[in-house]
Amino acid sequence: MTATRVDPELLSELKEYGDGQVETCFNCGNCTAICPFTSAEYPFPRNMIRLVQIGGAEKLKQSIDPWLCYYCGDCSQTCPRGAEPGEVMMSLRRWLTAQYDFTGLAKKFYTSKVWEIGAMVVVGVLVVVIALLLSGPVVTDQVELNTFAPVEIVHVADWIMAGMLVFFIAINVFRMWKYIMVDGMDRKVPFSLYITEAWQIVLHLFTQKRWAQCEEDKEKKNWNWIAHLLMVSGYGLMLVIIIFFLKWFQTDEIYPVWHPQRWLGYYATIVLIFGAGRSIIGRIKKNVQMHRFSHASDWIFPVLLLLVALTGIMMHTTRYLGLPLVTYYTYIIHLAFVAPMLILEVPFGKWAHLYYRPLAIYFEQVRAKAKAMPVAETQLASAD
Amino acid sequence: MNNVKVDALVIGGGIAGMQAALDLGDQGYQVALVEKEPSIGGKMITLSKVFPTLDCCSCITTPKMSAVAHHPNIQMFTYCEVESVDQQENGFDVSVLQKPRYVNADTCTGCRLCEYACPITVPSSFDRGLGSYRTARVPFSTAVPQIAVLDIENCILCGKCEKVCPVGAIDFTQQPETFSIDTTSIVLATGFELTDLDAKNEYGAGELPNVIDPLMMERFLAPTGPYGRVLRPGDGMEPMTIAYVQCAGSRDETLGIEYCSRTCCMYAIKQSMLISGALPLAEVTIYYMDIRTFGKGYEQFYQNAKAMGVEFVRGKVAKITEDENHNPVVRVERTEEGDVVERTFDLVVLSLGMVAGDPLSKFGLTPAEDGYIKIPSVNASPCETRRPGIFVTGTAGGPMDIVDSIVTASAAASAASAYIRSKTQVGIEEREVAHV
Repeated sequence: MTATRVDPELLSELKEYGDGQVETCFNCGNCTAICPFTSAEYPFPRNMIRLVQIGGAEKLKQSIDPWLCYYCGDCSQTCPRGAEPGEVMMSLRRWLTAQYDFTGLAKKFYTSKVWEIGAMVVVGVLVVVIALLLSGPVVTDQVELNTFAPVEIVHVADWIMAGMLVFFIAINVFRMWKYIMVDGMDRKVPFSLYITEAWQIVLHLFTQKRWAQCEEDKEKKNWNWIAHLLMVSGYGLMLVIIIFFLKWFQTDEIYPVWHPQRWLGYYATIVLIFGAGRSIIGRIKKNVQMHRFSHASDWIFPVLLLLVALTGIMMHTTRYLGLPLVTYYTYIIHLAFVAPMLILEVPFGKWAHLYYRPLAIYFEQVRAKAKAMPVAETQLASAD
Repeated sequence: MNNVKVDALVIGGGIAGMQAALDLGDQGYQVALVEKEPSIGGKMITLSKVFPTLDCCSCITTPKMSAVAHHPNIQMFTYCEVESVDQQENGFDVSVLQKPRYVNADTCTGCRLCEYACPITVPSSFDRGLGSYRTARVPFSTAVPQIAVLDIENCILCGKCEKVCPVGAIDFTQQPETFSIDTTSIVLATGFELTDLDAKNEYGAGELPNVIDPLMMERFLAPTGPYGRVLRPGDGMEPMTIAYVQCAGSRDETLGIEYCSRTCCMYAIKQSMLISGALPLAEVTIYYMDIRTFGKGYEQFYQNAKAMGVEFVRGKVAKITEDENHNPVVRVERTEEGDVVERTFDLVVLSLGMVAGDPLSKFGLTPAEDGYIKIPSVNASPCETRRPGIFVTGTAGGPMDIVDSIVTASAAASAASAYIRSKTQVGIEEREVAHV
């Protein structure tokens, strides 16, 4: 047994990550018993709240539990102390994102609005400057976007951006893996399990099917899950198009309406606006548990998504209307929203949950399989 | 009706009100006691045993009820409600509504012939709906006064009671009457109500037949109860496994009741002990957040229950559902083990909390944040309200058990006595002291 280090500052630190009222909790266990996702292995949220109360930062870092919660809010709604366990779990997801991140940027962004918005602005301005520096001749007779912003150059920029993302994400995911699967395990996990369970990542990345089991969401015909899934399909599609098929997508040739290039684009834009708009309206109305408290990061992400989609539509419209200058400028503004969203939100912001959540479920499965194995086998595995 | 002039008016004829009235009456003051039900006795007369001594409740309450009824200095007004309280120069003018009994209280002998003749049976509020009584009835066997009352809401006006009454006391023409009581001081003993059985959706919203409130269990356990034994209301089966859900109506922000009701731990423990006697093979499990046994002899009482085999599990019950046989299923995190379990019981008792009874506006008082009468300096003068001359006792001032209710009743009587003397300059020596 190793000693457990206690972090007396943890409770006050977590206050910066959300509105949970950890200190009012008297550990009655109502939240854990009402939670539809709690299990023998992961009896959350109370175990997490307890860890916050006793300053168990090390143990929290090794926990999967916060990623297994979907904030249906049953716990917050029924908590006899108003401790907001659901919000504590949300804060812990933000906190964990900051812990996994080796650059320290995630922590800065989550604990300071100035930092997060400032970074967005800096990246946005940089993109504008670079775009203006690298832009080609401005043709005003007709819309020639690919003359103004040659698709080859934009594509290269995309790949550089993607490379940066992969770099940051890979290191952060490695740290997450180390905390959960090495520090948080009492035995070594055979490598083969990682391979045989890998399909879990794909499954949960594309379906988020665990969320659909939320009791509260089931009552509402799973609309939260469906809206989220649609939004995921929208940006997923856009990401694939931008990284792999930009030449086909960013073109001055106008395709007929039935062409997949057009309706795929329309689909993605509509679901993005629907999803992000729904989230923003929900946060204004505070009509569901998960929208009652909004951290700065909860606003920035959907607002950026919405702005990206809206500037995309605007560009599309002005191009069809044959307004060259407006199209070019809108394009630059569009880029100024897209770039910070991808470069900052994906590795350091709210968007990071896109890979942390499926990975956490994957780790949970691998862990369960490893624990079910006879001890001798896992030790043998550790020998080679 | 003639106007009444007294030194003290006690409002509420439960254990606190009766004790206050007796203490004042014994000191020679003229006392009026107003009770909204047809009989005095309050909640206590419906209970089985008292903690921590397990003495019989009736054996403590009925003598006090009789003492009140027969006290030369106490006038008892049952089936009456206070309508308004007006401040006078040297006291209060209290307007009281006498609800019609449809029975002549002066001639009725309590022979119960009307009750035997009455063909209409309704659920008994005395038995919390578990048993039944007739529409024309003496409220319960030890009611004081032993005067019949006719529940006109359910009456079919068949006139059978009128025919059998040997003294011709049945009077269908009675009307509500208002009279006034002129008093120097007032003691409020308006008591409490249980929190609602259907307040929490997670606990079945009152729809589960085998989830009951603690006063129902009291009736099952009381010697005067409707069945003389413990059974479950859903199907009459004798329960072999019984769960108590503590803090089902207290210490819960979602109900707006953040305070501790102070009695639930002890009554649950008491009932679990009595169940062990009534159903020796039954298993009782008490789910609690904290066990608060703070009174004299209470902790030992708790330890005794543990030693008797009552199971105590720490964890707030999150959800109660039921299986196809209407057996309640309790879902809880056993916080000492750290696991979530679902367990099926035959019967579940929700240890509901206490909320303030009567609305306070007619007394010119505003409630404190907890809904009970505000007591401005609870440490220095625990029975004084914001209005000089109006005192509070028992659960009208906040949740408390029988022991504390009786203590505060005597305290309120003492405070009222001092106040009356200061106002009337009448000492005990100038008055005719009643020797009772």
